[in-house]
Amino acid sequence: MKKLLTTLLCLLALAPVPALSAPVLDGAAILQKVDRNLEPESYEMLRKLINIEPDGKKKEFVLYSVKKGRDKIVALFLAPQSDKGRATLRLGDNMWLYIPEVGKPMRITSLQSVTGGVFNNADILRIDYTAEYKVEAAAEEKDQYLLTLKAKTNEVAYDKLKMWVDRKALLPVTIECYAASGMLIKTLRFADIKDFGGGIKRPATIETDSPLYKDYKSVMLYANIKKRSFPDEVFSLNYLPRVEDLRK
Amino acid sequence: MKRALAAFACLLAATAWAEDFKFDAAEFDKQPFEFGGYLELKADRSWLKRDGSFYKLNGLARDTLDRNTATLKLNAKYTQGIASLKLSAAAEQRRDQLISEGSARFDEAYVSFKPDPGFTLDIGKQALKWGKGYAWNPVGFVERMKDPNDVELAREGYTMLAADFIRNFADDGGELKTIAFTPVLLPVGAQTNHDFGQPNHLNVAAKLYLLYRDTDIDFTWLGQGSRGSRFGIDFSRNLSSVLEIHGEWARLQDVEQRRIDAAGKVTSEVRDATSYLLGLRYLTERDTTWIAEYYRNGGGYTESQLTDFHRVVDSGNSALLAKARQISPAYGRANAGERYLYLRASQKEPFDIVYFTPSITLIGNLDDRSYSLSPELLYNGVTNLDLRLRATWLHGGEHSEFGEKQNARKLELMARYYF
Repeated sequence: MKKLLTTLLCLLALAPVPALSAPVLDGAAILQKVDRNLEPESYEMLRKLINIEPDGKKKEFVLYSVKKGRDKIVALFLAPQSDKGRATLRLGDNMWLYIPEVGKPMRITSLQSVTGGVFNNADILRIDYTAEYKVEAAAEEKDQYLLTLKAKTNEVAYDKLKMWVDRKALLPVTIECYAASGMLIKTLRFADIKDFGGGIKRPATIETDSPLYKDYKSVMLYANIKKRSFPDEVFSLNYLPRVEDLRK
Repeated sequence: MKRALAAFACLLAATAWAEDFKFDAAEFDKQPFEFGGYLELKADRSWLKRDGSFYKLNGLARDTLDRNTATLKLNAKYTQGIASLKLSAAAEQRRDQLISEGSARFDEAYVSFKPDPGFTLDIGKQALKWGKGYAWNPVGFVERMKDPNDVELAREGYTMLAADFIRNFADDGGELKTIAFTPVLLPVGAQTNHDFGQPNHLNVAAKLYLLYRDTDIDFTWLGQGSRGSRFGIDFSRNLSSVLEIHGEWARLQDVEQRRIDAAGKVTSEVRDATSYLLGLRYLTERDTTWIAEYYRNGGGYTESQLTDFHRVVDSGNSALLAKARQISPAYGRANAGERYLYLRASQKEPFDIVYFTPSITLIGNLDDRSYSLSPELLYNGVTNLDLRLRATWLHGGEHSEFGEKQNARKLELMARYYF
């Protein structure tokens, strides 16, 4: 009897006990929630982009952006006057810039920057993280999750991201962007969580700096984020000169 | 006390943050009437080349020429419902030691009707720009020629009726993501578009755009009318996040070429021509952008034809010189030869100086090995102000394209203020 009990106890001890083991983190589900918490699938918004030089001198850009689905986004420059009317389009890995003086869209690449400063085109025309990255690892830290993301293709601007996500709000707090060589390209810091209405509550400020641009800083401020649906035709080269017509 | 000081310092810092990053979105509400433009002041000095053919043809008799140019560009747009009126005008005043002259024109003046995002109808004068090339666009059938030395220079449009149909299939998951069709009607008469070609024709043109397998593809066509019929194809594609490739190919029918032989005999030949271009843009790890294009100008002059023209000018015979002067606009136009190379390298923000872009551009005639080389410094760190310093050296042997230009070199300073 003693032997039987001992054997049973041993078997019980060896058997997996799902209720007592630590839950496995579903990094992909967290990333999906981060995407939707940052922005609805289809929306319009205004952004101010500020480039700050080491001596404190600033240059500001204002962009009107519309997005549809996971990977279609258009941004139109409203200011400064020298850039007004320029429009950029992104369809997945494809990006174009329309300059009124040139009169036709030109292909651009994700690592270039239409504004100069620390933000590049991939930051300005950001699409859903789930469209570009897969979750390689997920870990729990004190109040945050740490997601390690790997680019799905070579076309993506950053090969790897380290994303710290607020556990409660499921919004990014800090993102480190790395090149394939492992070099840190830039750090994005999300701050100033604001209720934009319509169930959209997200950081209204993203600040970035880069070891490649020592002592320079760029800031992106968000305003008027609203859910809105758009026809697919808006996201095409021929429509770029007319993006202004979408504004109400 | 220390705590109070620290709290005060924190409060000050917070206030500074709030002031620094203020964003009043209401300032950017859409207005039915929009107005803007720029004022540009340009001063340049040209060092003239006394033995250049175009120096002789232009009868300059001096070593340098200093020119000041003021340009006012005005853009306005009025929107009412589905209709909008767009105006773009330019006025220019030039003064040098020889002349003082002014000009004013509407580059664009047209009405757009946009009843649906997938359809637009434009009526009036507008500048359509077709093709994927930076320096040249052989498939640009309904536009004025681009200046490869200044590709962003505003170009006057043509009066036309143009429509635009767009269909997007991005959500279908297929290889064809977008299709767009742009038909154009371009009348030519004594008063309308008279420099387009033969008068009394209603020219029909069209462009079909496809975004297929992540590649932009255009098919362009111009029917027989004021010019011979022509058709073409272009493409552009990103091969990686740092490399783009593009190309154009056009077949032109009944292209007229007037030329002068070494004896001074002027003839005219009508023939078919094929022009094409292949180019790429590459962004290095150090943020240097390289643009390279090879251009074959099917309607251009061969090396020996260009040499014949320059020999006639060199002959010193006044009757021959008069003939050469008459035909000189054709030989003096930008890139009148057959094979060209365009190479541009621009460095983004070197030495951590943001908004500063130095660049160097080479345009070379591959047949006679002559070229122009233009280093340039561009600074746009002050909001709404562009400052550009550009020098140009023209180099080439006797009777070569760039060796026979009016200038040997040029220095140009430009300031452009946007409002």
